[in-house]
Amino acid sequence: MSDTFGQRPANASETSMLKQLTSGSLPTLALIIALAFLPAMLGGSWTFTMGLCFANSIGVLAVSLLVRYGGEVSIGHTFFTALGAYSVGVLDAKYGLSLFASLPLALLLGVAFGVIFAWPSRNLSGIYLAVTTLALALAVPEIINNLGGITGGYEGLYVSTPIVSFLEMSMQRYYFALLMLVVATYLVARLRKSRQGMLLLLAKTHSAAADAFGTRRVWARISIMGISGGIGALCGATLAFSGSTVSPGGFTFSQAIFLLVGSVVGFYGLSLPRVLLGGAFVTLVPHLLSASGAWIPVFYGIALLSMILIGHHLPRIRKAMKLRKEAG
Amino acid sequence: MTEPQTNTLRGEGISLSFGGIKVLKDLDVEFRAGEITGLIGPNGAGKTSLFNCLTGAYTPQKGNIGYAGNSLNGLPPSMRAAKGIVRSFQHVALCPDLTVRENVMIGVARNHHSGWLNAFLPLPRGQREWAAMAQDANRALADLGLAEMGDLMPDALPPGMQRLVEIARAIVGNPSVLLLDEPAAGLNNSETSDLMAVLRELASNDLVLVVVEHDMDLVMSICDRIYVLNFGELVADGTPKEVRENPNVVRIYLGSDDD
Repeated sequence: MSDTFGQRPANASETSMLKQLTSGSLPTLALIIALAFLPAMLGGSWTFTMGLCFANSIGVLAVSLLVRYGGEVSIGHTFFTALGAYSVGVLDAKYGLSLFASLPLALLLGVAFGVIFAWPSRNLSGIYLAVTTLALALAVPEIINNLGGITGGYEGLYVSTPIVSFLEMSMQRYYFALLMLVVATYLVARLRKSRQGMLLLLAKTHSAAADAFGTRRVWARISIMGISGGIGALCGATLAFSGSTVSPGGFTFSQAIFLLVGSVVGFYGLSLPRVLLGGAFVTLVPHLLSASGAWIPVFYGIALLSMILIGHHLPRIRKAMKLRKEAG
Repeated sequence: MTEPQTNTLRGEGISLSFGGIKVLKDLDVEFRAGEITGLIGPNGAGKTSLFNCLTGAYTPQKGNIGYAGNSLNGLPPSMRAAKGIVRSFQHVALCPDLTVRENVMIGVARNHHSGWLNAFLPLPRGQREWAAMAQDANRALADLGLAEMGDLMPDALPPGMQRLVEIARAIVGNPSVLLLDEPAAGLNNSETSDLMAVLRELASNDLVLVVVEHDMDLVMSICDRIYVLNFGELVADGTPKEVRENPNVVRIYLGSDDD
């Protein structure tokens, strides 16, 4: 045995973890502070749009989480966002209940349906699972329309009950979305430093090794789908409150694809800046291109391609610049 | 099963085939606690397949597997792991998303049971659990001379060290059965010597230690008993001296005059 047996400080990993958190959290903290002061500099419509951007960022987080921890792609996460959104919409419009009541319900439904979906699809992976999630996405608008008595059908529902009385409603819509985004990214960051998070990552990369150390692949699949479904529902609940309306048009197959696009643009990152980048691409680019008429899809495609190419080549560009600087 | 010996891993009449190919043919093996047992044979002899049967990754068509008098038949790998039966892999199976220390912490995770709230919130129980797992991992890494590598990512290490990390992951949880698949592959002489010292120390009274290895010097110097497989059949078993002098083994490794 080595002489160094047991001599390493017990809290060495805690120290390194603290370093990692501190190094990563300072820019994130600055970003949160900047976003907190943003409404003071923006007009009403931009404040509203940024609220939607934060909500979509949560959806991007849900999709990226499934990729990073489950190794799977979903093109049907609008099913979970619809669950969350209609939890808020129905309880608000039909019963006058605020988010204090509807948000826990949204989370519960998102997790429950994530688990329910994961069980029969537990042995599917790759393109087969993706196509299965597609079925969810295609079903959502029809389900909503057929349950018109509850969901309001095509017309949808209006969400108007405030959370607090001392803040203007438009500000509540903005800050609630920001708060939810910060909380969601924080919880996901915590997951990375947990036993469950490590086991999920091992099950994703080496399911045989995970099995050999006591982690069943089925547990991993169900767990990550439940978590991702819950965050997807949180996205929907936030969209409902910050967007003030809930209607089938917000949960189409295209919207599901946009969430995946946001996840790709953010390079499946789970940090606040990365998911915000994805959410901004999903929300702000179409907003900025709104004056382009029929050219919107073309410009959107160019923007998407540009983002992916920049992201792909950025490490090499940085490396070349560093080498040039050192040589100079 | 015949009368079991305490803390003994036994396989009786194990047969495994894939399609028409018989990989293991009616094997009887017994791995005793307190001994280091070597499992040797040419490539394709069925060594790793036997490991896979013992750990539950493969289900043999015939035969029984038991540990400490209890049948393991039908138990999935995760439940065998819960009984302390762990293994390393022929091809290193570390998680590239986790640091070296976190990879080793995986080996002790089955001994902890904090709930999901602890995974998402900084609650005391989850933090204590994380610190305890990290401490155990640090100790196992130090045992294998990797004390300073904990914060690195696995791909920053050479292949030999990655294999040592995998062994650290296997030993950190105080297993009752430890199956090491080619633990010395890719190690240099110094690392192999360190590994041999660690294995000797691990072979306490409570541990069943089985090593699949092509490094004959290692096998002959640390093993108390050796099984030799060829084409899925048991060719010889005994002490290193008996195996070394067995004409069948000599023929398998050196070839006969007729070949």
